[in-house]
Amino acid sequence: MVTNYKAEKASYYKVLLGLLVLTAITFVQPSMFLTHYTFGMQMLIGTVKAWIILMYYMHLKGEVLIGWTVIFAVFLVAFFFAIVMIDVNYFQFADVSHITSPAQ
Amino acid sequence: MAHDSHDSHEYVPEIAVDRDGNQHEVQGWQGDTYGGKLGFWLFMLTEVMMFGSMFMVLSYYFHLHPQDFLDASAGLNRVLGGTNTVVLLVSALTMGLGLLKMRNGDVKGAKLMIWATILLALVFLGVKAVEWTAEYHHGIFLGLDALQSGNEHSLPFGQILFFGMYFSMTGLHGVHIIIGIGLMLWLLKRINSGKVTPEHNILHFNIALYWDLVHLIWVFVFPYFYMIGAGDIAGGVIHGH
Repeated sequence: MVTNYKAEKASYYKVLLGLLVLTAITFVQPSMFLTHYTFGMQMLIGTVKAWIILMYYMHLKGEVLIGWTVIFAVFLVAFFFAIVMIDVNYFQFADVSHITSPAQ
Repeated sequence: MAHDSHDSHEYVPEIAVDRDGNQHEVQGWQGDTYGGKLGFWLFMLTEVMMFGSMFMVLSYYFHLHPQDFLDASAGLNRVLGGTNTVVLLVSALTMGLGLLKMRNGDVKGAKLMIWATILLALVFLGVKAVEWTAEYHHGIFLGLDALQSGNEHSLPFGQILFFGMYFSMTGLHGVHIIIGIGLMLWLLKRINSGKVTPEHNILHFNIALYWDLVHLIWVFVFPYFYMIGAGDIAGGVIHGH
């Protein structure tokens, strides 16, 4: 059924290599570069890894309908994420909530 | 690989008869690979939204207590977490290669790759068990005093939130690993009974997708918990919100 077995196998190994390199960067970044931006850098590296996994291991490359469905779902999460973050910044019980003002 | 004919997954078309007695073959959807793939993606997107909500809560707590989060993160065992990252990474490869082999007609090779993936999944769980046990012996575990506020052993409140989310999210991720092992064993059974074949491999494809999703979630779980407090400097977070 699959005619490009060798080519696909080779691409799987290339993706593995890329992900291993990015994992290594994940480890060294906090002490080696952009150390003031560790959280942002870690999430950026994670996003690049996720994109590679989605495109090549999960075969989203070239998938138009499923690709847009994924984008829609991620957008939905991001949208609610933004709404909640805005909302909690104006939380009216922030001074009395156990979560926002824990007893020290 | 020999299969008895009664065990095979041959599609027997349904026949409908119209009012004039003419027979018509009913369209079957058993071979609808794209439909099977799309349906499974819809399920996986519900998983994305579930974990997305948890990341949302995590981010809110991080926003409230940045320094506690960095301190708590710095205390996690990055060697064990990193080992599990590499283990999952390699397991994603073995699962993918298994699917490639299946599609190429190498059923034996495909089964071998699935077993390799199961083995790596067990290694992941073993490492996680070692890690959780060590944390338990350090007094950090759900239900122990350190993670309850209002006693002399209590950690700072932000750290309690951090570890609460850590155990919840890595625990839920671990449950997905266990489910994945179950799915792979089921897949092996279906392959052995001839119901998953090089020509009909959508189940194999979807379980490989599930495994990639489990890997994908870890890609964010790992840095969020283990790495944000790894540096000497404030982790890129401005203190004092």
